[in-house]
Amino acid sequence: MTVGHGVFIVIVVLALSFFSYNAQRLIRYMMSIGQPEDRTGDPVTRIRNLFLIGLAQKKILRDAVAGPLHASVFWGFVVLTIGTAEIIVQGLVPGFSYAAILPAPIYAFYILSQELFALLVLAAVSVLLYRRIVVKPKRLQGDKVHSGDAILILSMIGALMVSLISLGAFSFALRPESGTMFQPVSLALSHLFSGMSAGTLEAGRATSWWFHALLILVFLNYLPYSKHLHVLTSLPNTYLSNTSGPGVKGAMSYMDLEAEGAEHFGASDVTQLGWKSLLDSYSCTECGRCTAVCPANITGKPLSPRKIMINTRQRLMELAPLATGDFGEFEHHVLVAGEGADAGDSGTTASVLGNTLLDNYITEEELWACTSCRACVEECPVSIDQLDIINELRRDLVLMESRFPAEIQPAFESLERNGSPWAFDPGDRAKWAEGMDIPTMAEMVERGERPEVLFWVGCMGSFDDRAKKIAVAFARVLQAAKVKFAILGQEEKCNGDPARRMGNEYLYQMLARDNIETLDRYGVQTIVTNCPHCFHQIGNEYPQLGGNYDVIHHSTYIERLMEENRLPLKGEGKALTVAYHDSCYLGRYNDIYDAPRETLKRALPMVTLVEPPRTRSKALCCGAGGGRMWMEESVGKRINAERTEELLATGADVLAVACPFCMTMIGDGAKAQEPGVPVLDISEVVAQQLAV
Amino acid sequence: MANVFAFAETRNGELRKIGLEAVTAARRIADETGGKVDAFVAGSAGIAARADQLAKYGADAVIVAEHAEFAKYNPEALAAIVAERVRGGSYRVVLFPTSALGSDLAPRVAAKLGVGLVTDVTEIKLDGDTVVVKHPVNIGKVIATVKIASHPALIGIRANMFTPVEKPHAGTVERAEPVGDPAASRVVVKEVKLGGGAKLDLGEAPVIVSGGRGLKGPENFKMLEDLAAAFGNAAVGATRVVTDEGWRPHSDQIGQTGRLVSPQLYIAVGISGAIQHLAGMRTSRTIVAINKDKEAPIFKIADYGIVGDLFEVVPALTAAVKEAKSRG
Amino acid sequence: MKIAVCIKRVPDMDVRFKIAPIGNAVDEAGLKFDMNDFDSWAVEAALQIKDKDAATEVVVVSLGPDAVQETIRKALAMGADRGIELKSDRIPFDGLAIAHALATELKDGGFDLILFGKQSADSSNGVVGAMVGELLGLPLVTSISKLELAGQTGLAKREIEGGQEFVEFPLPAVLTIDQGLNTARYPALKGIMSAKKKPLEIKPAQLGEQSVSVVQMELPPERAAGRIIGEGVSAVPELVRLLQTEAKVL
Repeated sequence: MTVGHGVFIVIVVLALSFFSYNAQRLIRYMMSIGQPEDRTGDPVTRIRNLFLIGLAQKKILRDAVAGPLHASVFWGFVVLTIGTAEIIVQGLVPGFSYAAILPAPIYAFYILSQELFALLVLAAVSVLLYRRIVVKPKRLQGDKVHSGDAILILSMIGALMVSLISLGAFSFALRPESGTMFQPVSLALSHLFSGMSAGTLEAGRATSWWFHALLILVFLNYLPYSKHLHVLTSLPNTYLSNTSGPGVKGAMSYMDLEAEGAEHFGASDVTQLGWKSLLDSYSCTECGRCTAVCPANITGKPLSPRKIMINTRQRLMELAPLATGDFGEFEHHVLVAGEGADAGDSGTTASVLGNTLLDNYITEEELWACTSCRACVEECPVSIDQLDIINELRRDLVLMESRFPAEIQPAFESLERNGSPWAFDPGDRAKWAEGMDIPTMAEMVERGERPEVLFWVGCMGSFDDRAKKIAVAFARVLQAAKVKFAILGQEEKCNGDPARRMGNEYLYQMLARDNIETLDRYGVQTIVTNCPHCFHQIGNEYPQLGGNYDVIHHSTYIERLMEENRLPLKGEGKALTVAYHDSCYLGRYNDIYDAPRETLKRALPMVTLVEPPRTRSKALCCGAGGGRMWMEESVGKRINAERTEELLATGADVLAVACPFCMTMIGDGAKAQEPGVPVLDISEVVAQQLAV
Repeated sequence: MANVFAFAETRNGELRKIGLEAVTAARRIADETGGKVDAFVAGSAGIAARADQLAKYGADAVIVAEHAEFAKYNPEALAAIVAERVRGGSYRVVLFPTSALGSDLAPRVAAKLGVGLVTDVTEIKLDGDTVVVKHPVNIGKVIATVKIASHPALIGIRANMFTPVEKPHAGTVERAEPVGDPAASRVVVKEVKLGGGAKLDLGEAPVIVSGGRGLKGPENFKMLEDLAAAFGNAAVGATRVVTDEGWRPHSDQIGQTGRLVSPQLYIAVGISGAIQHLAGMRTSRTIVAINKDKEAPIFKIADYGIVGDLFEVVPALTAAVKEAKSRG
Repeated sequence: MKIAVCIKRVPDMDVRFKIAPIGNAVDEAGLKFDMNDFDSWAVEAALQIKDKDAATEVVVVSLGPDAVQETIRKALAMGADRGIELKSDRIPFDGLAIAHALATELKDGGFDLILFGKQSADSSNGVVGAMVGELLGLPLVTSISKLELAGQTGLAKREIEGGQEFVEFPLPAVLTIDQGLNTARYPALKGIMSAKKKPLEIKPAQLGEQSVSVVQMELPPERAAGRIIGEGVSAVPELVRLLQTEAKVL
């Protein structure tokens, strides 16, 4: 045993001990500060997510430039880690080589993979560094975003690759006779060393080895102090995440308001968030993909989902050492820095304990700017749920502190009194249907009949003049297809989505329970609705309260009717260019992208569908979700204007929507433009084509 | 036979129109039953000169309370003297205006006398000895017929429901002295600010002129301000689009996310009637809509609609309102 | 400081009412009830005083059947300290009878301020607060839209036709609250939970003699909405005529 060997063993033991200490510390913070949450269910889906999103880098690849670069580095890391293990073991057991335990062909393949991936990673890292330092893409910029950390990490990776390659090259040059064609890089580089003495070559090899092995250990131990902690947490985070299932995508968490001893509702600090939100915060590497797609952020509002995550981590790191009595805590320079770093106060114990995530880090204005469009969640490559934190903080604001924009109070009060966010007479709910011979559920039951489906009209369809026309159009489609349907009329109430998204879980549950009681009283099983918010809420979130129905959005339902040839269509008309705007609650929340498009294509044989650059799962929100419909939008550009401009830039003659709220927003946006381009709901397009 | 006491409200030494309306209403009841009308007027020295006018509208007698303290509203002293006069007379009905002053005074008097009071009355009938009135309830969505069994029956009449009609009677002046020292009142009106200067708040203005996208730009709101000025008691509002565009301040927004208003008269100019706007103004008592699109939803809730170019209609309406106002 | 706020439970006004078969009341089936708006501003006014001076006790009083407990709980959820239900089978229309019951309850309560909404949305009579003030012999200011308190003196603003009156009064006093003074706070769930534990006393209402009663209720003629009176400038004279003679707003 050489001195070097002994020294290395000591270093490895120290490095791994220090790393283990940090790892247990971070896990302990997360588990003792965060609220308990069960994330063990449905391992099949979780493993699928791990493979698709984690290993196959599905979400990373949504970015056409950075995606392949990052995937190269990631896959390179996976492959090179096998080699890294060999190198470390070599340090501990001199002379160790996989060659001794692997069949020759596999070993040859292994050697080749190490060489090529090292080169690939080096190339990718170089480009990434170039992007960071020279190109500076917008999403990587931002208030106090620490590029230094990224540059340091990228440089370390680069140095690891260089040392790995030079290790191979020196080794090859030392014993060229044992080299093979599976070491093309080493072979090529070894020519550079021709003429060097064996001593020099050995010194070069040893230096490369030591440099590489030590840098790996340094890198490993630096991670817990860096935003690049994601290197370690992203795979577990993806496995434990629910953003792509298991469970119902996009459903807000159930809250037991009657729970024994329940004293806090929602979250004002990290101590009230689930531990998974805290793991999310460890996993954020500040890539900014979420913020780059956030409609609020795009239009100049103070919300940045990335900042929400960084703030959560900052607050956790500020509070946890104190709260867990961990006074041996090292200065978390990087983990408490970043966007909004001036918020925290690591000064005195009292000030740290006095701070909260809400207000000290994340302001009300940021929270109320959110449209709940889910673009951030959809985009996050490591399956972070930014929206969950926003929702929990909103819940605290409303349920605990009654703190919200003044203009939503009438909506809350009206929901409570009239069962609709607008103060209209519930007795007028079915007025749109007058003269159309549409029975209410009560009337049908009285006749001893049962409908095929219940048409859930929604408050927009019931009270908004423009949306009433959508209700009429869809009813006409149903009638043309001879579907036996009924409406609830006066017995229908708001599904509760606006209240829930605005943080008013209490009001939401009141409305939802009333509706469930009504639906169950009539034994309703199948519901069709033209409103994606009603669709999502009743279909995906009512099960939390015991309401289980088969809810179908009208785009899907109409497509089905056409598929079954139940709709008599003219099948003629002038050629139209149509741009369809994806509704968030239909698309990102429920993965319904094709049904509305198919419906349009089938209804209009001559249609040309055009897509704006941001479309389908990347579509920009209209600006109405998350209760924004009832709030002022006085900061920055109006979201609906931004979206409408994008849609109009496609050159479409008609803009199509599949949501009454989108109709209001896009309709308003289109009205502001000259000449006005018509905005139609897909059911209106179909109704115009009816041959009856 | 029913004798009637009518409180004739004055301001700055002048009778208010609603004061004359009270006398006219009183005269009508007295004539139907063969009773007489006592009008009551209070003010600083010289108010007695108003007795002639009250006689002209039908007062048999005019009770005049002259005192320096009555120059402004002195609720406690006025309630005391009115209660004393009513108690001293044999009135079947006592009429007050439903005004800021009358609504404050009448319940004080009713409580002092221990008798029934109904305010905001639109019709009064005497059925034998029973006083029956019509009184809108549930923000005017229901009309109640109310019986007042007490003697006397106190009634606050709604403005503009009993148009003053000249019907000269003797109007004999009778002087009344304050009860106690009016200067000793605990509740004191320190200052009265009338008209001018102070912009009417949207929540309080009886008339609102409101503009939407149809106005096309901030400069055209001058037109609406002119119309509001012609009414004299109007404020100017706007839709969300207008305030979002920055044509008007956010505080002027009427609708679900802005001010919720319910004025006597709401004039919607160039407003199509989006749900968010309707939610904030549909309870207005009378709604007028001016819009070039006859399909605009606003017409569905408007009492009176004019289809046309607002840039022509509004100036014409302003002129017509000015003229109507100048005629009285 | 000790403040009493008298509140009333009224039906929501956003509906189209139906007349009950007995003919002198509205059909309550399907109606939603809540605190009268003016009264909620009175509660808010009291709570704002309490926000500044934690020693303030806010007591809410409501007269009516047991259903008024829901309304009282709402005020407690907003932040009032305790409630009193003056139990009565129904809420009479006669303001003086109600005022008598309230005055009897409040007389010896040692309140510095007794607040009311200026009128209820259903009865729309606007007399109870003022009558209580008179029955208790306390200084009374009605329909205030601004309030300042300094020691034992208050200054209130009242809206009058075409202007404002500024009124000074000593405490204790009775005030009735108009629109514009404040916006009522929205009770947080936390408040709703804690309201369940706050004291609510139930006593029989000592109603005074009733001399005013509703004999009949009817719906006004349907407003013929959607009436287009003409096109362009030529319709203006007709509009002005209708505003003067029919709508009586000009």
